[in-house]
Amino acid sequence: MNREAYLTDGVEIAWCPGCGNFAIRQALARALGILELPPERVVLVTGIGQAAKIAHYVNVNGFNGLHGRTVAAAAGIKMVRPDLVVIAESGDGDLYGEGGNHLIHNIRRNVDITVIAHDNRVYGLTKGQASPTAAVGYKTRAQPFGVISRPLHPLALAIALDAAFVAQSFSGEVERTAELIAEGVRHRGFSLINVLHPCPSWNRVQTFAWYKERVYSVEKEGHDPRDQAAALKLALAEGDRIPTGILYRREGPSFEDLHPVVSRTSVALSPLPQPADLRPLLARFQ
Amino acid sequence: MDLVVRVAGAAGQGVQSLGEILARAVFRCGYFVHGEFSYHSRIRGGENAVTVRIRDRPVFATSEQADVLVALNQEMLELYRPWLQEKGYLVADERLISSGEKALTLPAEEWARKELKQPLAAGVVLLGAAARLLGISLESVKNAVAEVFGEKAEPNLQAAEMGYARSDTKPFMGGLPCFGRGETMFLTGGQAVGAGAIAAGCRFLASYPMTPGTPVLEFLAQNAQAYGIVVEQAEDEIAAINMALGASYAGARSMVTTSGGGFALMVEGLSLAGMIETPVVIHIGQRPGPATGLPTRTSQENLLFALHAGHGEFPRYLAAPATAEDAFYLTMKAFELAEKYHVPGILLTDQFLVDSFVVVPALDPGKVAVQNHWLSPEELEKMERYERFALTESGVSPRALPGLSKHLVLVDSDEHDFYGRITEDLGIRKVMVEKRLRKEQGLAKELEAPWTYPQGSLRGRTVLLGWGSTFGAIREAVEILNEKEDGYAHVHLRELSPLPTEALERVWNQAKEVIAIEGNATGQLGKLISADTGLRPHRLIARYDGRPFTSSGIVQEVSR
Repeated sequence: MNREAYLTDGVEIAWCPGCGNFAIRQALARALGILELPPERVVLVTGIGQAAKIAHYVNVNGFNGLHGRTVAAAAGIKMVRPDLVVIAESGDGDLYGEGGNHLIHNIRRNVDITVIAHDNRVYGLTKGQASPTAAVGYKTRAQPFGVISRPLHPLALAIALDAAFVAQSFSGEVERTAELIAEGVRHRGFSLINVLHPCPSWNRVQTFAWYKERVYSVEKEGHDPRDQAAALKLALAEGDRIPTGILYRREGPSFEDLHPVVSRTSVALSPLPQPADLRPLLARFQ
Repeated sequence: MDLVVRVAGAAGQGVQSLGEILARAVFRCGYFVHGEFSYHSRIRGGENAVTVRIRDRPVFATSEQADVLVALNQEMLELYRPWLQEKGYLVADERLISSGEKALTLPAEEWARKELKQPLAAGVVLLGAAARLLGISLESVKNAVAEVFGEKAEPNLQAAEMGYARSDTKPFMGGLPCFGRGETMFLTGGQAVGAGAIAAGCRFLASYPMTPGTPVLEFLAQNAQAYGIVVEQAEDEIAAINMALGASYAGARSMVTTSGGGFALMVEGLSLAGMIETPVVIHIGQRPGPATGLPTRTSQENLLFALHAGHGEFPRYLAAPATAEDAFYLTMKAFELAEKYHVPGILLTDQFLVDSFVVVPALDPGKVAVQNHWLSPEELEKMERYERFALTESGVSPRALPGLSKHLVLVDSDEHDFYGRITEDLGIRKVMVEKRLRKEQGLAKELEAPWTYPQGSLRGRTVLLGWGSTFGAIREAVEILNEKEDGYAHVHLRELSPLPTEALERVWNQAKEVIAIEGNATGQLGKLISADTGLRPHRLIARYDGRPFTSSGIVQEVSR
């Protein structure tokens, strides 16, 4: 299917002009096209924030839940319906701030979902406060003296937790972002794709041009994504170069493969029990 | 008959197993039992007691007084001796008892250490002696030991026999002859909730362990493979409810189990369930608060919290089971109503109900109809357009699951239009609020009338009004009071949202006086009724020390 089939029309898009979210939306639609996924087989789970509104702008099933709880809801869906393709998508505040605990523990579970993080280092919808990925010294109305806390390195975090698939891209590279999303969906287990993008309304430092000058492809520099130590080094590297591409991937069974019930069936679709089915259970009380 | 045996010791001495052995032995003989656990929040040491009541009819309350006290250490002997009936017996190791005291003593610890090479078996030796004192057959006790200990039955079988054979034939309390057992079952309230969930087709449970919600998590986990249930220990309660809502959206009947503190963390998720009209069953095992409170004790402090939790306005079903039997059926009903009306179904139990074991009439899952309440793929294929939140008279919009047809299913925690798309159209907002709230009218029609005893008019009677697990104690109290003067009645609420206001108005119209009996300090049911009807209980009998009500305690308070 071509990407247009996955884009809603007639729905007013509430993002600001020039926002990187438009490009990520195009990339997601392109990725679904590459994967040739029927829209009804895909569930897009989002939280709250500007990025999270994407559930209304893409033509697939949608669960637009609570702020920070995106990954938890996505994991719940996948556990009972392994037949569905589950993509969790939200902003850096949602996934790395409010929802950090769910990210950590679902990487541990290795549920076969794909998390797409819109990382613009700033809170858009609440008007410009620092996000967990904001640099030290970054000034906002809520942090008038500048950010003191060290930024969260989502890639390093995920690599350290041995996530199944960890990638980064820049929204200015739509085709490449689409390919990385598609690769993340194909990869069995938990996939994180951190998509860097400018916020023209609030972030005056990390602009489109700022990213354009700094991003580089790890493939082109011969990085082996099976090498966890090398991946961690790239993710933590300081300086003016920002890695994009697949930093880390490992093969191995996912939650669904290891779980004695989930590996057998989509439990949500099993028929309801009949009274006779309860006999062995109730007999233990007799 | 009403015989009370208490076994008390330190955590780690097997008190719980001893109580269960005794209860199972008489259960097999046809008796009804109730076993209440009282314990400190620790794994070793501290106070640990089980109070077993043996009756020839169903029993759902515990007792302060005991006829027999089996004490496993000095501390418990001193703590519980004041509650021993005057004609009662103390059973303990001879080292604990000074000569001249009326007691059944054995060198149980010495035998266990020297002969059985298992010091922990001393308790079973004492239990064997107590069984002989009570007149329970050795065979019944040994069968119960085998049942409770399974593969580890030896040397406990020997220990039971030792205590039985080597104790004197006197004293003797009159005997517990076996008779034909009817169709009954032996289980805890926690197991009843778990079994009810499985019978209702629960397919997903996520929970962060918290006493006394945990037994339901463990019961479902242990039966997950046999019944095709995904049970996941969540990283926190916020994750638990959001995972459950995701699973429910995808079609799985979903549940969370916790206590008041964990439910507090789930509250935003509860509100999400209300907004996206996605069913979920929430089991709250109450314990005393605020905050961590008394982790292993009981209370009824979360009624108003559970009813009012969640920002915004949306209907919910709330049931507070009276007994373990009731817990089984109300859990099934909570799942059914949650599925039928797309609302949260809250089950409000407590430590007393969850942990106590009891004998109930055989449970019959056929009594509650279990059926799918979503559109089949065939029905969906026939539809040209599908809207998850389509406007209907009942407020219930036909529900589709994602991935079963070409139709997409969109839900949103923002206010949304009929399709599920985010909207700021304030006209639609108003319509959606009314649609969600309309579901309460249908729900209200599903409720049973409050339980009333004796049946018939309440005219001229003093009504003891309760809710939830206080049922057994209140019922017994009314029976005791009526023996003296037939002027009392018991009205019991088990379904509290929607509140049956018409039935309550009838109670106030007829009764001479209404006394609310609640396991909290502020009279939460009274406040709830007052807010909805303007009626107030005339008196409140409150218990908030973490212990369950007993009939004698209630009789004393009523007669004051």
